[in-house]
Amino acid sequence: MELTFEKHGSITIIGLNGRLDTTNYIEFENKLLEEISQGSSVLIECTHLVYISSSGLRVLLLALKKAEKTSSKLALCSLQTGIMEVFRISAFDSIFSIYPYKQDALEKLQDQSK
Amino acid sequence: MVHLVQFTDPNSREMEKALRAIPKCPGTCIFVDIVSSTAVKYTTDIVLWGRRLNNTFNFISLLNDFPENIVKGIGDEMMLYIPDEVLIKKDTINDYYSLLEEIYSTILNLQRFPLQDMFYHCKLSIHYCTDVYNVTFLKGFNDYYGRDIDLTARLMGKTRADRLVFSETFYRKVVSELCKKGISKDQTCLNHVSVKMVEEFKGIPKPVPYRFIDV
Repeated sequence: MELTFEKHGSITIIGLNGRLDTTNYIEFENKLLEEISQGSSVLIECTHLVYISSSGLRVLLLALKKAEKTSSKLALCSLQTGIMEVFRISAFDSIFSIYPYKQDALEKLQDQSK
Repeated sequence: MVHLVQFTDPNSREMEKALRAIPKCPGTCIFVDIVSSTAVKYTTDIVLWGRRLNNTFNFISLLNDFPENIVKGIGDEMMLYIPDEVLIKKDTINDYYSLLEEIYSTILNLQRFPLQDMFYHCKLSIHYCTDVYNVTFLKGFNDYYGRDIDLTARLMGKTRADRLVFSETFYRKVVSELCKKGISKDQTCLNHVSVKMVEEFKGIPKPVPYRFIDV
């Protein structure tokens, strides 16, 4: 899996490209928690995410709890249908802010960061 | 492939021949039990009890990743058997370490999920089996028999909510894979593994070494 990074003020956009599973979740966890611990709000862009396993969901849950303890915000955008289905059946869609489009997500996070 | 054994003559020579011809089917046996659902069943109505059970079954990714390998279920306890030849062909979760890490993550996610009354907790036992036969005595059914299946079932006696119990045999398989991949145990769920325990179990002739992880 490839990770991409983009900065928009205090918001970091992390792009996930490929499969997020036991082979790579540690790298994602380290990068994501590092951003949150620095106080950045994070938008996880999932356009090219094709698979997420329980290990991947575990990282998101950990990050959400960490973000709640800081002033950071965490959101996801552009989930493919299959990934959205995983979020729906695992009820992760009820605990995460999920947006269909990157621009909408970015604007929302910017508003929340003001 | 399941081997059907069904003969009307109890002393059939053909039956003996058929039984001797069944090959062993090495793989991973997993027992999953959903905790507290029976108690909830008796204290609430079917909707509250059933919804949580539905949600929990959906949440256990193993059941979605290996639907063909759910051998049987009795109430909220299930047995999965994943033959090695099936495991290695998977795109993801195609080795013993991935299997364990995914199960650990699932239990952790269930435990830490922030909304109440959405899911039940789980407990599991895992064993790497060599003494197993893919055989059924009932037409149209699939089943696995063998001493190692019995052992996996016995290990369930050492589980409790949010605990994974696995045989030393399975543990060694995982550790061997981590060594080959150059991954430190500290970076994985084995960071939380217990010391080796050794106990005698009913019906198992030798003491059984096992370990556990309390999530």
